[in-house]
Amino acid sequence: MNDVLDVALRLVVVFAVFMVLPLVVGQTEHKVMAHMQGRLGPMYAGGFHGWAQLVADGVKFAQKEDIVPADADRRIFQLAPAVALLPYLLVLVAIPIGPSESAVGQVIDAGIFFVLAVMGVGVLGSLMAGWASANKFSLLGGLRTAAQLLAYELPMLLTAASVAMAAGTVSLPGILNAFEWWWLPWQIVGAIVFFVAGLAELQRPPFDMPVADSEIIFGAYTEYTGLRFALFLLAEYAGIVVLCGLTTVLFLGGWHGPWGADGLGWVWTLLKTAILAFGVIWLRVTYPRLREDQLQKLAWTVLIPLALAQIALTGIVKVAIQ
Amino acid sequence: MSHLAAAAEQGFLSPTGVEIAFLLVGIATLGAAVVTVTTKQLVHAALWLVVALGGLAVEYLLLTAEFIAWVQVLIYVGSVVVLLLFGLMLTKAPIGRSPDADSGNRWAALTVAVAAAAALVWVVVDAFRTQWIDLDGPAQGSTRVTGEFLFQHWVLPFEALSVLLLAALVGAIVLSRKSDNDKEQR
Amino acid sequence: MPPIPGSGLAKGLAVTLRTMTKKTVTAQYPDAQPELPPRTRGVIGLFEENCTVCMLCARECPDWCIYIDSHKETVPAAVEGGRERSRNVLDRFAIDFSLCMYCGICIEVCPFDALFWSPEFEYAETDIHELTHERDKLREWMWTVPEPPALDPGAEEPKEVAAARKAAEKLAAAQEQAAQEQAAQRQAAEQTPAAPEQPARQEDEGPAE
Repeated sequence: MNDVLDVALRLVVVFAVFMVLPLVVGQTEHKVMAHMQGRLGPMYAGGFHGWAQLVADGVKFAQKEDIVPADADRRIFQLAPAVALLPYLLVLVAIPIGPSESAVGQVIDAGIFFVLAVMGVGVLGSLMAGWASANKFSLLGGLRTAAQLLAYELPMLLTAASVAMAAGTVSLPGILNAFEWWWLPWQIVGAIVFFVAGLAELQRPPFDMPVADSEIIFGAYTEYTGLRFALFLLAEYAGIVVLCGLTTVLFLGGWHGPWGADGLGWVWTLLKTAILAFGVIWLRVTYPRLREDQLQKLAWTVLIPLALAQIALTGIVKVAIQ
Repeated sequence: MSHLAAAAEQGFLSPTGVEIAFLLVGIATLGAAVVTVTTKQLVHAALWLVVALGGLAVEYLLLTAEFIAWVQVLIYVGSVVVLLLFGLMLTKAPIGRSPDADSGNRWAALTVAVAAAAALVWVVVDAFRTQWIDLDGPAQGSTRVTGEFLFQHWVLPFEALSVLLLAALVGAIVLSRKSDNDKEQR
Repeated sequence: MPPIPGSGLAKGLAVTLRTMTKKTVTAQYPDAQPELPPRTRGVIGLFEENCTVCMLCARECPDWCIYIDSHKETVPAAVEGGRERSRNVLDRFAIDFSLCMYCGICIEVCPFDALFWSPEFEYAETDIHELTHERDKLREWMWTVPEPPALDPGAEEPKEVAAARKAAEKLAAAQEQAAQEQAAQRQAAEQTPAAPEQPARQEDEGPAE
């Protein structure tokens, strides 16, 4: 009985984190983006500096009519948002935020593989949406999503493999237990490649060609309204949380910090994740959208060679220190 | 002998929860696979393939082969199916039925499929029979055990496969490259 | 020297970060009223005491959005035996702001300074007919017309001031001449040197200019 309670409690906590953190990131994006553009951002909802803007948005989305285009493939069209969103919830289960056993939803032996595999599934949602909408723009969006995923999955996997090599394990808590501060400079190239590839996989600006709102009208999500559209948006922000959390765990040492590693480890994890999330927003505000050919070129001629070089470096250092 | 004894202790096909789950997931996977090859809606076939491959991953999990399960999801669901869908979208797959999504070779295909299935089932049954997985110590199929097996007992096949994949890669590049003759003609 | 690769990217990041730390330019309008400069083309106010119903504004208006009604009144002679005068009395002065395109020609052509720009802009209505505002409303807006801004340093002085100054100078010059003649007459009469008196006189005239 205790076990059941324990599992239930963990799931509830993970679900709560899953519902809250993306909204926090979203609100931060509203405000940070506004100030970076010399604006104030939302100021009214909730009274104090528009803190409840996203809650208000959610209520608005829930009130909207749920429309399925006449020619669309009904079932798949309706299923797609769930396929896009659920994988991130699953990934969140495996990310450890503190050193103790109770600071992770579920320890998974092949953690890296689990996380990357499930994140890859999330993209299927966009593909399904793109195809099932019966809309040219959606189809173009779907095609671009697929092309982007194929190009950026590889550097992501390679750099994750580099960390796994360094730690000698593929379990996420295992990697963090093996972490030393000098991994930071050692794996810095891998970290950058991982983060950039992750951004591209999430289709965040400047890698948002698949949803380019000014040319293909939000790509795969053109036909979506109301709650289903909100789910897609939520998936994007959950993706940011997951990517930042993963980068923190794999490359930035998670709960390790200059002081207070015992007991306050989770603060370090959250702090690093928050800083990375700020970076995601910052990049979005600063850079224009990459063209499709530039996207592919960046992945195949820059990121993958860098990732391979990182693996070689990891291997050499690993052999040298043994 | 010990395996047989273990089997006798546990009883062959004693319906534990895991076994029931294994069977149910197996049936679902089989059903998804059958729908994959019989449906006339191309993209639906690809999506049912996702279900079938995901079902297989769950089966691996139930057999404690955690590593294989996640790799299955990563490679097949995450990449192969995406590639398939990409191809289908490029070929203007219609929404609804494609009348030509049928093959005249269906009987030959069925024969091959049944033969392959029979061979696999026979080989697996013959190889393991009533063997039980020893759950004490590191689980069979965990990452460490799989890695040790792969790089101690099966290095040669592994490397041979790597060379095969490399050859395929080089071949693909050669095929997709424009030859100099083509350029001159233009 | 060629730029360091990626320095452009870093510069971009620096720009957004710097902007974030600066004050925002958002005008929180309903909470805080904007500070509009004088002569902002908000609405047209009517200073009806100055209006002579000359109809120039209505005729020049490209949109025909100004409506003027008037009648003539006869004013009895001001002095005994004088002639009766007639004058125009304004009955209606209305501007249809749904037609007005805020070109300001009416204000430019008004020869008697009866029309003014006011920065007041919050006069939206729910019905288009209610956008035709009558003279009482236009007169009310006149109170919101701000003082004209000070002239730029070194600018030509306003015409009316220049005219007044010229008149004053003429007067002063005439007085001086008269004084000089007087002095000359006195000099001739008393035979005393006038040289020391002249600078003192100039100092007296200084403030008059």
